[in-house]
Amino acid sequence: MRKMIIGMALSLVVVAAVACSGGDGSPTEAAAPPTSTPPSARATQPAIAPDLQDDEKADASAGDSGPTQGGVFNTLWSDPPTLDPHLVTDGTSYGIVIEVFSGLVRLGADTTNPFEPDLAESWSVLEGGTVYEFKLRNGLTFSNGDPVTAQDFKWSFERAAHPDTASTVAEEFLGDIVGIQDIVDGNATSAEGIEVVDERTLRLTIDAPKAYFIAKLTYPTAFVLNKNNVESLGRNWVDEPVSTGPFTLKEYRIGQRIRLARNDNFWDRAAYLDEVVFNLAGGVAMAMYENDEIDVTGVGLADLERVQDPTEELNADLVEVPPNFAVSYVGFNIDEAPFDDANFRQALNHAVDKQLIADQVFSNLVKPAYGIIPPGFPGFSADIQGLEFDPELAQDLLNQSAYADASTRPRIVLTVPGTGGSPGLTTEVVADMWRQNLGIEIEIQQVEWATYIQDLHRGRLQAWSGLSWQADYPDPQTFIDVLFRSSSAINYGGYANSQVDEYVVNAQTEQDATKRVQYYNDAEQIVVSEAAWLPLWWGVDSKALVKPWVQDYAFSSLTIAKFKDVWLDK
Amino acid sequence: MTNSQKFERSENRSPMLKDLPPDGGQFKTRGHWRKIWANFRRRRLAFVSLIIISFIYLLGIFAPVIQTHDYQETNLRETQQGPSADHWFGTDRAGRDLYTRVVWGIQTTVIITVTSFATGSLLLGVSIGLAAGYFRGWTDAIIMRVGEVVSAFPDILLIILLAATLRPRFVQFARDIEDSTGMTGLVSSGIVDYVVIGVALLPLSWFGMMRLVRGQVLVLREAEYVQAARAMGTSTPRILYRHILPNVVSPIIVSVSFGIGAIALSEVILSFFGLGVQPPRPSLGVMIGEVTARGGASVSVLRDHPEQLLAPIIVVWLLIFSWNIVGDALNDVLNPRAR
Amino acid sequence: MLAYIVRRLLWTPVLLALAAFFVFIMGTWAPGDPAELRLGNRATPDNIKRERERMGLNDPIPVRYFNYVGGVLKGDFGDSYHYQGRSVLEIVRPRLWVSMQLNIAALIVAVSIGLPLGFYAAKKQGTARDPAIVISMLVLYAMPVFFTAPFLILFFAVKLHWVPASGWGGFFSLQIILPALTIGIPGAAVFVRFMRASTLDVIGQEYVRTAHAKGMSNFVVNYRHVARNALLPVVTIMGFTMAGMFGGSLIVELIYGIPGAGRLSLDAIFQRDFPVLTAFVLLGAGMLVFANLIIDIAYTIIDPRIRLQ
Repeated sequence: MRKMIIGMALSLVVVAAVACSGGDGSPTEAAAPPTSTPPSARATQPAIAPDLQDDEKADASAGDSGPTQGGVFNTLWSDPPTLDPHLVTDGTSYGIVIEVFSGLVRLGADTTNPFEPDLAESWSVLEGGTVYEFKLRNGLTFSNGDPVTAQDFKWSFERAAHPDTASTVAEEFLGDIVGIQDIVDGNATSAEGIEVVDERTLRLTIDAPKAYFIAKLTYPTAFVLNKNNVESLGRNWVDEPVSTGPFTLKEYRIGQRIRLARNDNFWDRAAYLDEVVFNLAGGVAMAMYENDEIDVTGVGLADLERVQDPTEELNADLVEVPPNFAVSYVGFNIDEAPFDDANFRQALNHAVDKQLIADQVFSNLVKPAYGIIPPGFPGFSADIQGLEFDPELAQDLLNQSAYADASTRPRIVLTVPGTGGSPGLTTEVVADMWRQNLGIEIEIQQVEWATYIQDLHRGRLQAWSGLSWQADYPDPQTFIDVLFRSSSAINYGGYANSQVDEYVVNAQTEQDATKRVQYYNDAEQIVVSEAAWLPLWWGVDSKALVKPWVQDYAFSSLTIAKFKDVWLDK
Repeated sequence: MTNSQKFERSENRSPMLKDLPPDGGQFKTRGHWRKIWANFRRRRLAFVSLIIISFIYLLGIFAPVIQTHDYQETNLRETQQGPSADHWFGTDRAGRDLYTRVVWGIQTTVIITVTSFATGSLLLGVSIGLAAGYFRGWTDAIIMRVGEVVSAFPDILLIILLAATLRPRFVQFARDIEDSTGMTGLVSSGIVDYVVIGVALLPLSWFGMMRLVRGQVLVLREAEYVQAARAMGTSTPRILYRHILPNVVSPIIVSVSFGIGAIALSEVILSFFGLGVQPPRPSLGVMIGEVTARGGASVSVLRDHPEQLLAPIIVVWLLIFSWNIVGDALNDVLNPRAR
Repeated sequence: MLAYIVRRLLWTPVLLALAAFFVFIMGTWAPGDPAELRLGNRATPDNIKRERERMGLNDPIPVRYFNYVGGVLKGDFGDSYHYQGRSVLEIVRPRLWVSMQLNIAALIVAVSIGLPLGFYAAKKQGTARDPAIVISMLVLYAMPVFFTAPFLILFFAVKLHWVPASGWGGFFSLQIILPALTIGIPGAAVFVRFMRASTLDVIGQEYVRTAHAKGMSNFVVNYRHVARNALLPVVTIMGFTMAGMFGGSLIVELIYGIPGAGRLSLDAIFQRDFPVLTAFVLLGAGMLVFANLIIDIAYTIIDPRIRLQ
């Protein structure tokens, strides 16, 4: 769910940041705003395979004695809607929460090793995949020195699910655990599926063998909190949280800055940095970077040419950021004419030359998407047959559709969230391609994020753009099942195909990994062929600038805690 | 609108205008205006400014004729080009012709300026001002109090709030009309946008004008010639129209000329935030918002592709500057005693 | 006069109450649901229902309105919709303080450039310098902030490295310089204009001519008589300028990354954070009403022909 986009931000500049953190709505957003905030975001989430970038830096520092303690790292960020891990649903909050709090398992730095033990040192899967038994690390403590026990996890999970906590995602991320649903519904306060075996052993029972369950525990909803801390400070407990991550929250001034300080009680090697400062007020990122006010920034479209110029000073700081696992798209409301006709949707797909847009408008910062699951993500298949650019085929399909005649074709309104990011250059270009290649005229409507999200939820949008979906965890379920199962709440377009439903439901409990991926790929092929969406871009293949003194700053494609390894060589 | 607006307001408030004595009460003649025009023409800078303004507005009015491309036509093989023979101001990131977009943007500005002044300032502001000033008493009190409430809002906030709130309602309403009557183009032609912006700007435009007119009328109604007309049994509308209105024309003209720059800037700000004119229709604000990615990319654009930012900005700049010069000159010419 | 002031002061709370009511009406009429916005895109209808309940959005408007007014009278502006569990004052106060500091800095810029320049222009009336000053200030005045801000950043921060490009470091930090210039320069143009006009007025006065005739030195005449008297009417517009700046620094705050009130109130509109917005409207309106009153009173003092009624 940091998935959402561009708009999520709501606040202006903020938008940009989020854009990045979440997947960006459209490349425009993605690319352009980077200038304004994404830096941080970019730095944060999207990001890179560590090795790529750090080579030369490592060399540069070679000869030195290695990481040095101390220093302050500055970055641009946007105001997080919440710092309560159990309430996090957006990338902006997630990027900060992940540095402060932690849970049983965490995401690995790359997808070949998707999960790493975090507060749990190991776990075993029992009873054919329905029981997970976690063994906590020895001597775990919160930042204030309190011990972390299995009981803390039980309390935390139950607190996350409790209606008073008002978490919108507890059901999704914890709902597989037996008894959680009752808490969510307000019928219970304790879940029998969570058993405290002893101080260091936690046993979770889930309702069916679901291969992706462990992935869900990496989400902040499953992070551990300190009961005493939360209950004694009341609603503003997050101002002085007691936590288990590599950093603690030192200061939070709304709209101004967040300062994190090293957590000396972290179970692993303590972080090198004394502080990480997130500047929340926004500003012109590139100028701030050039002026040494921030240590990392994303490179937006507007600056791309310049930083790629080898004679430019900044060129030395340039770092490739691998794409984040996100897909942006134009969504169609399948229940509404003219999008109820697959031929018409296919025609729209075939009429858009994504490669040309990527080359010319976005300087190849984006990668044209012809499927749903992004390359490099578990379950990606190169065999998916996408709907490639083919104006003649598009015209044929249009002629075969029920809406070939422009005079009787219903009005088409494509809505974009207009407040905040750039209003949607992509949308305008795509619309113009439809006009030029098919003679289809549409209306583009920009609305504020507030209106947009409401209309989206109510299914009132006929077609929409400016959204992208970013993976929550490395499992194809986060794309195919969540987005296209007919009963999924996120399936905004109302796409329904019984075959797809059957595949994704089978995949939920399939224990054979290969077969499971096959289910998802089969479903994906149907979705793509039927043109449920017009997929636009995968991830945002971005560039970032990192100051030469910053060492071991690793970009990764998923949100992971990244500052614990960073050190400054000043 | 922030700045020009300050200017306009302070102008209205200045004691110089407030206690301006009526011009004796004679009906202003053709000769009177000719003299004023001659006076105005003698001010070289103001005259040049007027020519600049006319030129810019003509560009906008004749946009469909003088465009060199289609304003929404993208050409992905000619993106981000500098000025050339084919693209006089260059092209934007989608390969659209900047010159064409600027002239169409000016047209948007012209339309918004005219509609919001015609409705807000002139129609509403003047007539309410006349009524309030002439009838005084409860009418006046109520009008003034309502006006104070509206004008108590920080302007820019109110405008943004109105635009954000009204737009979806208006657009839906227009679509319903289109669907039920079979009309087309109400939404796509941008009419709805103009209405939304015009309404959103109402609070900015009507109250200042109203207060100005009211102040004048309060003084004028006590003037001997008005008293005389009343004594002779002249009807109220006639007194207002024949005797009072002509004498308020000068301050109205001055006020309008100061306010127009503010209106142009307001459109830019609204569109900058995505609340004004909708794509694909260009406006100066849309262009600025797009190219700066709502501010964040402004420095980079200024450095690497200044023409993309400067093309719309210079037009706004010239308009505000010229209108201020013209307003100044008009103030001098029309209200000689105020100086 | 006293009666007038009392009447105005009595009317103020009514005005504020009406303004707040207006925001309430807009709040219910506006598309977008604060509960839904807060919960994000994954909220289920159940979540939203519960959240609306918790936020008190299900009560009828009059009830909410009177609860709100009751709270305000007790100094409680309610809780923000967007920032969970934060009181409005807790959020608004620091932001307002930032904006005030910025605007004071801008006013200092405007006054310190505008007044001497306006005075100088008036003294040089008849020479080429006068129109040169007036016109160049008008050019600066008309310069859209969309150009001024990036230009200043590019030149002074990125190229020369003299000052930071963005951010906020308090009143006595280098960061305040560029935004203060951006707001202050157009303001200076306003002051040049008024100071010039006012100085010309004074120069023409009899007592100035008398002073000259008495053989007083130019310096004494200029500063003892002309400048001092010319300043009086100009001072009155300062208050007004301050009030006008309240919402005006919005785009400046945006581009320079300043956590001020303009940004917050704009965000409040987009986030449908009506408690925060209402607080701003009340504060902004209060300031404006107060400023207007001061100006009106000041006018009667400067120009006794004006009578308040």
